[in-house]
Amino acid sequence: MTAPWIEGDTSGAGLAIAVACGAAFGAALERAGLGSARKLVGQFYGTDLTVFKVMFSAIVVAMLGAFWLGQAGVLDLARVAVPDTWLAPQLIGGAVFGAGMATAGLCPGTSCVAAASGRGDGLAVMLGMFSGVLVTGLLFAPLRALHESTARGPLTVSAWLGVPYGAVVLAVVAIALVGFGVAERIERPA
Amino acid sequence: MTAAWWRRALAGTAALAGALAPLAGSPYRRDAADRTTGTIDVAELARVVADQEDHVSAVELAGWIRAHLPHLRIVDVRSATEFAAYHIPGAEHVPLDRLASTAFAADDTIVLYSELGVHGAQAWVFLRALGHRRVLFLRNGLHEWLDDVMSPTLAANAPAGAETAFARVAELSRWFGGTPRRLTGTASAPVEPRRRGC
Repeated sequence: MTAPWIEGDTSGAGLAIAVACGAAFGAALERAGLGSARKLVGQFYGTDLTVFKVMFSAIVVAMLGAFWLGQAGVLDLARVAVPDTWLAPQLIGGAVFGAGMATAGLCPGTSCVAAASGRGDGLAVMLGMFSGVLVTGLLFAPLRALHESTARGPLTVSAWLGVPYGAVVLAVVAIALVGFGVAERIERPA
Repeated sequence: MTAAWWRRALAGTAALAGALAPLAGSPYRRDAADRTTGTIDVAELARVVADQEDHVSAVELAGWIRAHLPHLRIVDVRSATEFAAYHIPGAEHVPLDRLASTAFAADDTIVLYSELGVHGAQAWVFLRALGHRRVLFLRNGLHEWLDDVMSPTLAANAPAGAETAFARVAELSRWFGGTPRRLTGTASAPVEPRRRGC
């Protein structure tokens, strides 16, 4: 039997798995110490690159897992949804996200972890985040043209560059390993 | 074993798995294009149908075509004669018996249509059974396209809100060379001709 075994992200089982994944993700963030705003802001000053290392490790593990499970016939990648790319809105959203993360010292996941750990700043960031979602929803009509612009569909790096999937896997692993080495050097106290 | 040892071991494993990846070929199932049998998750399909996520309206499809929606594939499942006589701009002809052997990419958004929608809906079930997830059909087939996109009408006694919607559809219709019409006087909506086909 080939994975994914559960299809549709709104089924009861799908939601249960989403909750389990979310809890595991939150636990991993907490174990990595990412509930602390100091730790996150350290990323921007080059004093603590834990966020970079945790997130890039997760990307590499997921990518290698998906690739080799697909090769082994355990996972049917054609049935794994790839989110759509909307170039302009996602670039702008990324910039807003980055500015908010640098200002608050927390991102959506870590703010939930911080709030769950009893930190007031985490709760404030969560409230700000949901307020932003609400305001965006209320202002959606004038934002619709931007939201629907520069659609690129479910674009993958492999399809975009026209290179084999395996070559992208190798490149990402190489970038990650070099990045980890550079991060370790940067973090060392002068 | 120290943390440094574990770091080196994991980095080495990742490097090995990454280095072998280009030699392993595509991770997608090799038999995907050859599959002619599949399975249906009836509960999942029932949910998709109940949530009306199985079809697209002709006006919405027209918007996608005009906006050059990436990876959009419009599939006409009618006969070759019918396809030659008229088809939706950009459509490709894939009759039902060739549907299973036609290769679709995982990121294609497939819109199926027939004359009146029945064969389009059946084709939707076939492709879903073969594992394609981004599949939709035109509920009332080509006739919906002809009525709503190529010849949209606004009744004389239409409510005020309908005017704005009609203006948008009319603009879309003209883009495709259609002829939007405002019905005047006591004229009512055109009589539906008897439709034949599936």
